[in-house]
Amino acid sequence: MSYNLIAILMFSTMMLMMMTGQRVFGAIGAVAAIAALSLWGVGGSDIPFASAMKLMKWYPLLTLPMFIFMGYILSESKIADDLYKMFHVWMGPLNGGLAIGTIGLMVLVSAMNGLSVAGMAIGATIALPELLRRGYDKQMVTGVIQAGSSLGILVPPSVVLVLYAMIARQPVGQLWLAGVVPGLMMAAMFVIYIAIRCWINPSLGPALPKEERTFTLKEKLSLLRAGILPLVIFAAMMMPFINGWTSLVESSAIGAMTAFVAAVLKRRMTKEVFEVSVRQTLAISCMFMWIILAALGFGAVFDGLGAVKSIENLFTEQMHLDPWTILILMQLSFLIMGTFLDDTAMLVIVAPLYVPLVQALGFDLIWYGILYTITTQVAYMTPPFGYNLFLMRAMAPPEISLRDIYGSILPFVGVMILALALVMIFPQIALWLPNHVYGK
Amino acid sequence: MPPIASLFVRYVDRLNYSIGRLVMLGIFIMVGILLWSSISKTFFLPSLWTLEVAQFAMVAYYMLGGPYSMQLGSNVRMDLFYGEWSTRKKAKVDAFSVFCLIFYLGVLLYGAVESTAYSFEYGERSPTAWRPVLWPIKVIMVVGVFLMLLQAISELLKDLAKIRDEEL
Repeated sequence: MSYNLIAILMFSTMMLMMMTGQRVFGAIGAVAAIAALSLWGVGGSDIPFASAMKLMKWYPLLTLPMFIFMGYILSESKIADDLYKMFHVWMGPLNGGLAIGTIGLMVLVSAMNGLSVAGMAIGATIALPELLRRGYDKQMVTGVIQAGSSLGILVPPSVVLVLYAMIARQPVGQLWLAGVVPGLMMAAMFVIYIAIRCWINPSLGPALPKEERTFTLKEKLSLLRAGILPLVIFAAMMMPFINGWTSLVESSAIGAMTAFVAAVLKRRMTKEVFEVSVRQTLAISCMFMWIILAALGFGAVFDGLGAVKSIENLFTEQMHLDPWTILILMQLSFLIMGTFLDDTAMLVIVAPLYVPLVQALGFDLIWYGILYTITTQVAYMTPPFGYNLFLMRAMAPPEISLRDIYGSILPFVGVMILALALVMIFPQIALWLPNHVYGK
Repeated sequence: MPPIASLFVRYVDRLNYSIGRLVMLGIFIMVGILLWSSISKTFFLPSLWTLEVAQFAMVAYYMLGGPYSMQLGSNVRMDLFYGEWSTRKKAKVDAFSVFCLIFYLGVLLYGAVESTAYSFEYGERSPTAWRPVLWPIKVIMVVGVFLMLLQAISELLKDLAKIRDEEL
């Protein structure tokens, strides 16, 4: 059998096994184990375990439980409530101001945690009911929250970029810095979009009525204090790292501790919050780790086959595609896969194939990491099957139907695709900051 | 279901639950080690041991915590079709597909045992400045994978009971 054929067989078996709904790590691991055994006999049997040792030695992976823990503390302890109030009072008088404020809230929440789910939970529980009560258009509101939550994995710290860094063997620090400008740019684009829509049609996002704007300047200023907390957490985490006192992993532990201490000081660390955040950290960390473990085994078999070289040949030599066409085709395949796969699963499944291919085609892997992250978020939100869409459905109040959610997301997906195109055409948007800091 | 099956399920679930509840506090151990690492680096001499101890703690965390996370149902599944099925149909399909998982865990366990035996025999050490012996963490990994395997079998038995409409 040719290596191409084995590779295709491995992928299709894995897809088929996943269709059965078995745990993703089981499906990936089983294909890896079967392939290893049938290709190399007994000698192949230590491939799955060898990846466990590889995983242990990959130091930055320790940031994963730290950021998950941080994210849960922030969303469970409702520290973010005060933040929302701050945006509410300051942005309320504008048409669409609360929606713009929600994007601002999401940027701050993103800077304190690395998963998009946490942002969505905070948005759906705090901002959503409030915005609906103020007569905001429900499609506008659900769209804003979903779009805003996608910033969570682009703005550092980002768990998805940690995973990408591991698979692409790229430095996490540079990847995180590369996410900053595109993340802020996307947030700005969302804000512009909301402002224009609400300016044309104020009924989409009415300004707060006069009688609700009775806050004195003093009260307004004291609300700004809520904004200090995210800055403190972010600074406590990033300052020692940027100054080179601590490594990234140590900084993540400092961040986790700061968030924990902040919750305790604000008297929000109840027994229940503690229980949920500690338990969910274990659950989600284990989920990630076991998928990575299985996927590393799969990747090792794949490397052993040398399949990437032959697939690259197939595209460039036999089909005469130029690198950009291949790159765009790859992005499109992400969009299709994202309709039924979770982003972690997607990353670990296709990365062993795509990352070396991207490198062989002569593209920058840091830049590609940012493209990948935005694309998966778009994929996540594209109807009919988007992971985020269902999550939103689960968290939103009953008067919001799945149809509303589908309708709400389309304009924001358009904005994100525009952002994606900008980063593709102007790689400097992503690469300027890391190059500047690391002085390449 | 034979009584031994319900005994198995009950004891395995209880064992993994207790271990998981204990291991989940490991997050604080990891935070503690890393904080000590940053403190010692900034104010005293950098500690040699923190990096590897933190890695060992992480491996123990996800290996021993894995079975409990399986009990919590936190492992992602591709739910394009699965999400729509009835509980009974889910149980039926799972009862077959869980053998993939069991096979994978079996191969993993085989590799783990081999590698641990090697570590014992040659007193394998990590090639770093601190040079810790590797067998203790490997033993933890063997135990973790074995517990994972037990939990997968327990899930299979629970699915079988569901298909036969029996209580365990």
